[in-house]
Amino acid sequence: MNSLIIILILVFGGAIISFVLNKFLPILLNSFVVLIMLAVSYFFFSIDAAVQLNFEIGGFHLQWGFTSAGYLFGIIVVVLGFLTLLYSTAYMNGKDNLGYFYMNFLFSIGAMLGILMSRDLISLFFFWEIMTWSSYLIVIYSGKDVDRRGLKYMIFSAIGAYSMLMAIVIVYSFIGSFLLEDIFTSIYAIGFGYQLAIAILLMIGFGVKTAIMPVHVWAPEAYAGSPMSFTALFSGALSKMGVFGFALVLFNLVSTQNWLINEVVAWLAAITAVLATFYAVIQTDAKKLLAYSSIAQLGYIIIGLASGTYLGVMAGLFLAVLHAVFKATLFMAVGAVERQVGTTDMTKVTGLIRRMPLTFIATLISIITLAGIPPLGGFVGKWMLYEALITSDHYYLVIMVFLSSTAAFLYSYRILFGMFLGQEEPEYANVKEAPLAMLIPMLVLSAISVFAGTFPGFIIEPIQKAMLVLGFENRIPNIEWYQLSVLFNSWGDKVVLQNIMISVMGVFLVGLAFITIKGYKNQRYVSTKDISSSGEVIQPEDNMTFQMDFYKPFERAIWPLLKRKIDDYYTDFGKGLEALFDFIRRFYSGNGQLYAIYVMAFLVLLLIAGTKYFGF
Amino acid sequence: MVISPVHYIALPLMAAFLIPLFGKLNKNLVRLIPGLVLLYLSYISVILMTQVITKDTTIIEIIAGWSPPWGINLVFSPFTGFLVSLFSFLGFIIWIYTYNFKPEVDYAQTQKFYVLFMMLITGAIGVVLTGDIFNLFVFLEITAISAYSLTAFYRERDGAEAAFKYLLIGSFASFLILLAILILYTQVGTLNMAEIAQRVPDMNPYMKGVILILFFVGFGIEAEMFPLNGWVPDVYTQAPGPIGAIFAGIVVKAGVYALIRIIFTLFDVVEVLQLLVVMGLITMAVAEVIAMRQGRLKRMLAYSSIGQMGLVLVAFGIGTHEAVFAAIFLMFNHAIIKGMLFLSATYLVYHSKEKNISDLDGIGKLMPFTAFLFALGSLAIVGLPPFAGFWSKLYILMAAADARLIAVIAIILVVSVIEIVYYFRVLHRIYFKERISTVEIKIPSFNAKFAMLILALVIVIIGVYPDLISGLIERAATDLLDKQHYIQSVLSVGRN
Repeated sequence: MNSLIIILILVFGGAIISFVLNKFLPILLNSFVVLIMLAVSYFFFSIDAAVQLNFEIGGFHLQWGFTSAGYLFGIIVVVLGFLTLLYSTAYMNGKDNLGYFYMNFLFSIGAMLGILMSRDLISLFFFWEIMTWSSYLIVIYSGKDVDRRGLKYMIFSAIGAYSMLMAIVIVYSFIGSFLLEDIFTSIYAIGFGYQLAIAILLMIGFGVKTAIMPVHVWAPEAYAGSPMSFTALFSGALSKMGVFGFALVLFNLVSTQNWLINEVVAWLAAITAVLATFYAVIQTDAKKLLAYSSIAQLGYIIIGLASGTYLGVMAGLFLAVLHAVFKATLFMAVGAVERQVGTTDMTKVTGLIRRMPLTFIATLISIITLAGIPPLGGFVGKWMLYEALITSDHYYLVIMVFLSSTAAFLYSYRILFGMFLGQEEPEYANVKEAPLAMLIPMLVLSAISVFAGTFPGFIIEPIQKAMLVLGFENRIPNIEWYQLSVLFNSWGDKVVLQNIMISVMGVFLVGLAFITIKGYKNQRYVSTKDISSSGEVIQPEDNMTFQMDFYKPFERAIWPLLKRKIDDYYTDFGKGLEALFDFIRRFYSGNGQLYAIYVMAFLVLLLIAGTKYFGF
Repeated sequence: MVISPVHYIALPLMAAFLIPLFGKLNKNLVRLIPGLVLLYLSYISVILMTQVITKDTTIIEIIAGWSPPWGINLVFSPFTGFLVSLFSFLGFIIWIYTYNFKPEVDYAQTQKFYVLFMMLITGAIGVVLTGDIFNLFVFLEITAISAYSLTAFYRERDGAEAAFKYLLIGSFASFLILLAILILYTQVGTLNMAEIAQRVPDMNPYMKGVILILFFVGFGIEAEMFPLNGWVPDVYTQAPGPIGAIFAGIVVKAGVYALIRIIFTLFDVVEVLQLLVVMGLITMAVAEVIAMRQGRLKRMLAYSSIGQMGLVLVAFGIGTHEAVFAAIFLMFNHAIIKGMLFLSATYLVYHSKEKNISDLDGIGKLMPFTAFLFALGSLAIVGLPPFAGFWSKLYILMAAADARLIAVIAIILVVSVIEIVYYFRVLHRIYFKERISTVEIKIPSFNAKFAMLILALVIVIIGVYPDLISGLIERAATDLLDKQHYIQSVLSVGRN
């Protein structure tokens, strides 16, 4: 049987079976889901590039097959899917409704793979919707604040999906086919106005999933409110579906004459990046902080894609892969803290480095990658992004990205310092390190970050294949991937990454040894409440640790920007609509005679004024 | 016994009149006979549909030996046959559901219920099958009277009020339709629909227009068009649950059928299709918007039903082959899905007096099966894949795109988002709120569960593999649009 079908059957069938399994044999559930994912990974990685499936259903010709672009994102989905499932087995231990959770988890993964293997728009939409409602079902898993959080997510996803649908049917009516390859070749024959409309509609659709402003308002609460193992997948892989869509749309549907669209998208993404970073900085809950950070990072990715140059797209895709890796690790780490400690509120949790050292290392590596500091992978991506923007004369965008990246240091530091460094509180003295099933995924992903810093080639190679699909020519010389560890700039200088890595590692290890040995004897324990208070008596309930109001001055400085959230506009709009609907409802007053009058009035109206509709 | 379309009318009608007699023999026969009749009708549906599809023919059945255009004839074509098969099948499923629906109801009431039930089925099927316009009116009256009585079945104040409103507006409908038929008869001199279709083009355009307006408003009332659908919310809320399902799934479809038959086959006024699109859009938008503000479950479903019928009218109004295909598909989907929603909703609010949505808080844990089916129905009706509703929505949008009606697409999609909001709010209440209401829950009986499960399976299977019925619907669409074929098939029987 076609391996594409096998993969889908495994995932979707596995989802349904795990739901049923939970009712009868819950003990097997964990092993079962991990095995399913292993099987899927096996089939995915052993797939032949030319495998395709064509069939007819409902009068449509559907075509499935992984393009290189789909394959690239597929790697992210499968690897992250496997690791987050492994993580879930420990994270979700003891919670109820596990069958429901795993069923929707697997549905999401399956839907994502379906999206990536779709070569026609109907399949794309079909799987997109399945992904939407299955992820929605997990977002509302905890049952808290369901109306606000879940409904907001669903509404925005629906708006996005329906914009996509509108574009799809318009495209079909002009071109007569849903197959992507047909559309790519014949799109230019459509009038410019329609092309623009189609592109905008598709971008709204993908933009919702990528959380670009102004359709990002669902993201902070959806990311923060879902179980962390799912958020790792949500932020890592699901948002990349939007990126995948953008890559398809911006390059293949919108001709390069429409540079205006690229500019608009790039600027929206830039504003998203800056504002989201600011919001991240003032958060006190680690989950929300990471959620806003995700939104900002996705902004970078889109800027890269929208710049339109070869290097820019490569930077965007590279950052996408890397973001999946480090963001998933971060969410997993926060989830580990949540599970071991009970809260992720950074004003309360602190000093866990001794208790959860491995989690700390994973977080540290991910934060360094996020911030774009050498020698880890993020540096490569950011370097490419900056160079791409500068060489294509997008100077203001560079300023925005730089501003956002620098502000990102603030929240990077916050999350590291807040949860792990600093003084240990007595109530956390008994916290244990996270279980193995949670540690392994985090450490594996961290290792990938490290590896990508020195040998980015192993990521760049699939990216470059993907870019062939997106219409770019291959500009990288045909060398082995591990040789691709040298960066060039325009003047021909070389930056050899291995040397950097070795030297940095060397300094780091020596320094670590030095500080540990030297500083060990000079430690002194101080209560965190040991602060001068100028004669005032501090009550026990006053929280006076350094964790409170960490970035208060910063918050005061940027307060005008944060005053009016876009979320408020949407809420007001929603309330206005409800009032309008109430007014319309009064039409049906319940009075039978009034209804009869409506009938007569309608009849008279038609007789007098409806002549043109009735042929006289 | 040779299978012929007459059975569709004769058997339920006979059963309706004979049920009281059989009841005297054995009380249980009263419950059983409708089921047997409907099962048989479903069976002959399969046979006749196969015949009609494979031989590419229309079965014309002559009543009492008077061949058309003098006598009444029944027309079993791919389109009418499809609708009638749908009615029989749905009727049978709903019969399974009602078998012991309210055990506390006494024998006399049960007997009346099933008599009226059979009459309702007869009427609806008759409207679709007949080829004579006055006969159509007669069957419409039979349907209407049974419907009025069934609305007031529980003999409470609210039911009586709803039935009265239905009676009031429905009488308007009957009056307008009868008036239209009379004037039409004076103009064309015949009551046979095929012959009318032949003679209408030669009519005085003013008379044509007036008659069409009268038909439009009259059948529009039955088809739940805005602003003629004031009766709908009360009736659907007050009627017993399975009857609500029959109304939404069968009766209103018969009304829409009549309207469509008039517009597409009998008359040749193409401009009225534009009005149909406009009225359909207004119906849909107003209904869905109001549905969002409802606090009572069945009332919300009623408005949702109106909205879907508005969408059907829009699809028919677009008028192209694929639009008509989409419309028929939507009628099918709506009958099944709305049927299931009403059936499950009835059990969800069984003991509640007001049938408020707030009574559903937290019921997901207490009635997992029913709640799950309701959730499945909600997802399906909103149009999410992989359920059946997705395909019909897709086809309608594609048809609208082909006709370059971009505004129509936008309105339909905006309304879809509104639908998602109010259905999902109900689902949130069912699964995520604490149960504070002290209303007792009622677990559905085995046969009720079985009935709902069958409908759910249909929804899922068609959702994943729509080709199972798209072939049938394709033929039905072609048949509806082929006026000449209709005229010839009917009138040629007369000449033989």
